Amino acid sequence: MTEPVIPKTEKVVAAAGAKLSARNLSFYYQQARAIDNVSFDVAERKITALIGPSGCGKSTLLRIFNRIYSVYPGQRAEGEVMLDGENILAPGYSLNRLRSKVGMVFQKPVPFPMSIFDNISYGIGHYEKLGRAEMTDRVEQALRQAALWDEVKDKLKHSALGLSGGQQQRLCIARAVALKPEVILFDEPTSALDPIATGKIEQLFAELKQQFTILIVTHNMQQAARCSDYTAFMYLGELVEFGETETIFTKPTKQQTEDYITGRFG
Amino acid sequence: MNAEVQRELRLEAVAKRAHSDQRMDFFFRSLTASAAWFVLITLVGAMLVMFDGGREALVEQGTKFVTTDYWDPANLIFHGLAPIVGTLLTSLIALLIAVPISFGIAVFLTEVAPAWLRTPVATAIELLAGIPSIIYGMWGLFVLVPWLGEYVYPWLIDELGTWPVIGPWFQGIPIGIGLLTAGFVLAVMVIPFISSIMREVFLTVPGRLKESAYALGSTRWEVVWDIVLPYTRGAVIGGVFLGLGRALGETMAVTFVIGNANRLGTLLEPGSSISATIANEFAEAFADEHRSALLGLGFLLFVVSFIVLSIAKLMLKGMSRWEGKR
Repeated sequence: MTEPVIPKTEKVVAAAGAKLSARNLSFYYQQARAIDNVSFDVAERKITALIGPSGCGKSTLLRIFNRIYSVYPGQRAEGEVMLDGENILAPGYSLNRLRSKVGMVFQKPVPFPMSIFDNISYGIGHYEKLGRAEMTDRVEQALRQAALWDEVKDKLKHSALGLSGGQQQRLCIARAVALKPEVILFDEPTSALDPIATGKIEQLFAELKQQFTILIVTHNMQQAARCSDYTAFMYLGELVEFGETETIFTKPTKQQTEDYITGRFG
Repeated sequence: MNAEVQRELRLEAVAKRAHSDQRMDFFFRSLTASAAWFVLITLVGAMLVMFDGGREALVEQGTKFVTTDYWDPANLIFHGLAPIVGTLLTSLIALLIAVPISFGIAVFLTEVAPAWLRTPVATAIELLAGIPSIIYGMWGLFVLVPWLGEYVYPWLIDELGTWPVIGPWFQGIPIGIGLLTAGFVLAVMVIPFISSIMREVFLTVPGRLKESAYALGSTRWEVVWDIVLPYTRGAVIGGVFLGLGRALGETMAVTFVIGNANRLGTLLEPGSSISATIANEFAEAFADEHRSALLGLGFLLFVVSFIVLSIAKLMLKGMSRWEGKR
């Protein structure tokens, strides 16, 4: 395990150890710089929230951690992201290995146009060749972890597109969990959901962090305050402040952070 | 008093205006409706006239017209199996070749090619669709036929000709003219259609759906095969049928290279198709039996094309609705 990097702003307590560390990370869309020299640590089996106004680069930052940006030509990252001491941005680090370790859940629920069962087994099939019985167990386990099993156990063969929005999003969480990743990235996972569905997913976070390291981008500051252990505040592509959530929300050291969390801008 | 008069004048003006509005509305509606009906009436009229013209062949011969292979203008015997089979076979060959290639083009242009290359190549392919069919026919006759006859068909006869089951299809004299050549030319002609439709529907797949698959570790191929294709299945099939519709009715290019021999043969021998037969023989069809047989063939082609194109339109249109229901 590498030594946690202390950002320039303040001391970070990462008691559980750093799972993922960004070091001098910058990101470019063509020539435009969207992330400017960001360094911070993500603690293992904790929830780290990224907050900030629209366009501050928090989603962009999240998308670096599983290199999903590399699907698009013209986007590139500079600096280092260490996962268990290995730089995932190094050309030699296999995308396949990275995506088995780092799962992602997107803003809007995006079930694949196939059955509920196949939605879960699809990703597993990329990495493991399982028999029918084992696969059934794995699918059930993933659906239980996402608190969806009881609602769908009788219609696993039905199309996933028939589920409600909240159920679809939990299906997407199950899909990510099914690969047994170590880190899960959430990109505003509840912004398209109603309050009840949101509540269910927030409850889920507390369960999931027993097993997974979680990094979540959210527009909703109450959500960050309720769910996360650490919070990073970003503004205009820079990391303004990073620390324990309680500290950030009660006694932030930067004026910008205070202005944002008290609703003066953003 | 004055106010009252003004009010009455105003009411009168409004009533007048309402009346003229109504008249204009009616006029406008009738005008546009008659324009729309015009097309429908033409369509039905064409179908009826063809059926009437072909009645002698279709009704009097009955099923014999479509199940017997014998076409002898000198003795006034006209059974249409050969051109019907020719039309279906050449179209089938065209699709067998064109669908995989179009799929490759569409995948390359939507998923693989660098951004600066995508639009120019897509435009170029769409321009190919606008080339007159007689140009394809001349290209087929002067370029493709000698080349196929010299190099490809002798090899096919030696290799495939000895295979069980399909062997007999690949026998004959390699003159380069025949059903297979017509299928090749048709394939080249329908590729622009099918590939540009596939490309367009592939572009409708939400980026976040593809990203989700990439995030699970899918490769580009897996994303295309497992996500993009199932998502667009209805529209892709619709596009293929649109290509089929075009291949079924294509006349000029086919007439150039098919050989126009009205009998069943192998794929490498001269054959005929419905449209090629009509184009070739109509000017000389003085006998009633002959003209009736040609019109009857035309009617059959009309019906088949109509069904194929209807399916294509339904599948293209129903895509979103159909996806949502499953």
